Amino acid sequence: MPPFSFKFLVSVFGEVLPYFPVTLLIIVTSTIFSTLLGVLIARGQLSQSSVWRTLSQGYVFVLRSTPPIVLLFLIFYGLPKLLLLTLNININDWQKSIFVVIALSLLFASNLAEVFKSAYLSVDGGQREAALMVGLSEWQAFYRVTLPQTIVVALPNFANTIAALIKDAALAYVIGLVDMMGAGDNLISRNFGHHSLETYLALAIIYWIIFVVVEQGTKYLEKRLGKSRAIASNPVEVTA
Amino acid sequence: MNISFLIHTFWLAIKAIPMTLLITGASVLIGLPLGFLLAWIKIKKIKILYPLTIIYTSLMRATPMVLLILLFYSTLPSLLNVILNRHLHLEIKIFDVNPAIYAIAVFALIAVANLSEVFRSAILTVDPGQQEAAVMVGLSPLQTYYRIIVPQALVSAIPNIGNLTLNILKGTSLAFMMTVQEVTAVAKTAAAYTYDYTEAYIDIFIVYFILGAILQLGFKFLERYLSRHKVRGTARQGA
Amino acid sequence: MLKVKNFRKKYQQHEVLKGIDIEVDKGDVVALLGPSGSGKTTFLRGLAFLTPGDSGHIEFDDQKIDIQTATSEEIKQLRQKMGFVFQNFNLFANKTALENVEEGLVIGRHIPKAQAKQKAQEALKKVGLLDFQNQYPSQLSGGQAQRVGIARAAALNPEIILLDEPTSALDPELVADVLQVIKQLADEGKTMIVVTHEMAFARDVADKVIFMDKGLVVEQNKPIEFFDHPKSPRLKEFLSRISAATVAHNGFEYEKATIIGNKES
Repeated sequence: MPPFSFKFLVSVFGEVLPYFPVTLLIIVTSTIFSTLLGVLIARGQLSQSSVWRTLSQGYVFVLRSTPPIVLLFLIFYGLPKLLLLTLNININDWQKSIFVVIALSLLFASNLAEVFKSAYLSVDGGQREAALMVGLSEWQAFYRVTLPQTIVVALPNFANTIAALIKDAALAYVIGLVDMMGAGDNLISRNFGHHSLETYLALAIIYWIIFVVVEQGTKYLEKRLGKSRAIASNPVEVTA
Repeated sequence: MNISFLIHTFWLAIKAIPMTLLITGASVLIGLPLGFLLAWIKIKKIKILYPLTIIYTSLMRATPMVLLILLFYSTLPSLLNVILNRHLHLEIKIFDVNPAIYAIAVFALIAVANLSEVFRSAILTVDPGQQEAAVMVGLSPLQTYYRIIVPQALVSAIPNIGNLTLNILKGTSLAFMMTVQEVTAVAKTAAAYTYDYTEAYIDIFIVYFILGAILQLGFKFLERYLSRHKVRGTARQGA
Repeated sequence: MLKVKNFRKKYQQHEVLKGIDIEVDKGDVVALLGPSGSGKTTFLRGLAFLTPGDSGHIEFDDQKIDIQTATSEEIKQLRQKMGFVFQNFNLFANKTALENVEEGLVIGRHIPKAQAKQKAQEALKKVGLLDFQNQYPSQLSGGQAQRVGIARAAALNPEIILLDEPTSALDPELVADVLQVIKQLADEGKTMIVVTHEMAFARDVADKVIFMDKGLVVEQNKPIEFFDHPKSPRLKEFLSRISAATVAHNGFEYEKATIIGNKES
């Protein structure tokens, strides 16, 4: 093991930061898709229809236990096979990032569904009733009264979940995607396994900065969106 | 689809469950008391230690699990080798140490950081009146802590402890990177001969589903059992 | 027995207590009245150092404490002479009614477990809740919880019991039982300071009534004098604002409880 080189540590930033856009793109697209799917599942969980309720609750229950790396590999190896067998569609030439986004979206939709559901339930039903009684329609009551309050309540948990998504996105390199982690991995290979400590440390610092940015951004948003609902929010503390 | 491989590998994966459970259980059990200790340091804002725990928690929570594993596993054995053998001449065969030990160490470090946050917020949700009542009947601060505050905090922390345990359980699927022979590693290795990766991952998926389901139900049960006196609802009449 | 001199407390710029002097003799029941925001609760909590005052002196028997320089050892010693009954009961949520009472006896006073249990059961019996000894606080009504709170304080046999608005968190129909228990303690000769809004109770049970307003003691007197011939204009105004109906109503409830209580005992 060569001695720790601070100079090398600094040089790692130059090597991996050019791949930050890849990491960012995956995070942003996965966030969008998992949010959309999460809203659908949350709706399903609160649905009158027992079929939808059971399906969406089952989805959340199953996906909660699924390790990210397992889902990632399952999608990466399994999805092309499945589509080829059933629909005769060949997706083997798809970019690896698409598989990553699919896996992360499916996975975090279940977490976000829970966040949205509990936030929606925490908004007092009296709010909707009051809105209806002053002449708003059911949709207006949701859109103008319930939804804004739900968003404020959901925000801290939403941010925590996205922080977890960002971290799990670091797994993308295991299927050969070259994002920041992938670039770091390549760098270590080029150095025949040396300087792995410096490389991983540099990556950890970058992830830590991203985490702090997300954390502080959320705090700022929370303050701006109003302190009135701050008491109702109870962030899930676990992000491991 | 290679069904016979699917079934055969499923049994192989099942046999690796004890290793997965060992890593999960050991790291959470180590994490519980240490997590309480860090939570206490954070709440009491103990000098010097307080900023250290804050930085530690932030780093552990911010860094992807895979990166932590790589970081520790690529560094720790060599570092220990240098310190223990080259400097202290202890002649310990560091590289022969069961990698499960390293896995437990890494996951325990993660568990401690997360549990310290879980306990911090759980302790803060305990009504301050409980502490006032305790000092008025003559309990010392330490007695108040472990006789009154901790038991109540533990109950309100159960759902979050459950979440953390589930996350560590899922995280052990990365322990193959430390050459630990747990569920994922065993199934992956089997698939490497025949390239039946899809089948292998379906097996792993099922095993984790079963373990996760048992864990989720177990914690639900525990939560219901411990809150049978609705411990948390006590201040309601007074509010 | 208890002398407090020049007790002061500030929250940031706001002076909540501007120098309180009071004296309590052994066996006295002192009722502390005043409008909300007058500082009476702050004062009572300050006596027990739950929210310590800024300056002043407390003399308890032969113990003299300067509030500014009080050490934790002095505070501990002072608290040993005190029992405290909280507005929100503050029963230990993880312990049964019996364990709540035992806790202070066993851990605080180091009384052997068996003896402590006997004492705790006696205390619960006195407040009429022996049948509820194995219930958890969440399984008790507010009135029952507060009676356990009183038993917990009284079981330690403190020299003085401080009661901070013991009935203000209760539903009206539960107030009477709790007042009855407090009166019982008064009849036994317990020294007490009660912060309360229950005028009829203060009139009936207290030996001395103190009126606080805006951080100062405005007037103190024997109850009959206090209520029937208030001297200061502020007390007159305070008493006139409390509608006659409230007083009559609470008085009625209280009388009723006394009768029920007698029947029970």
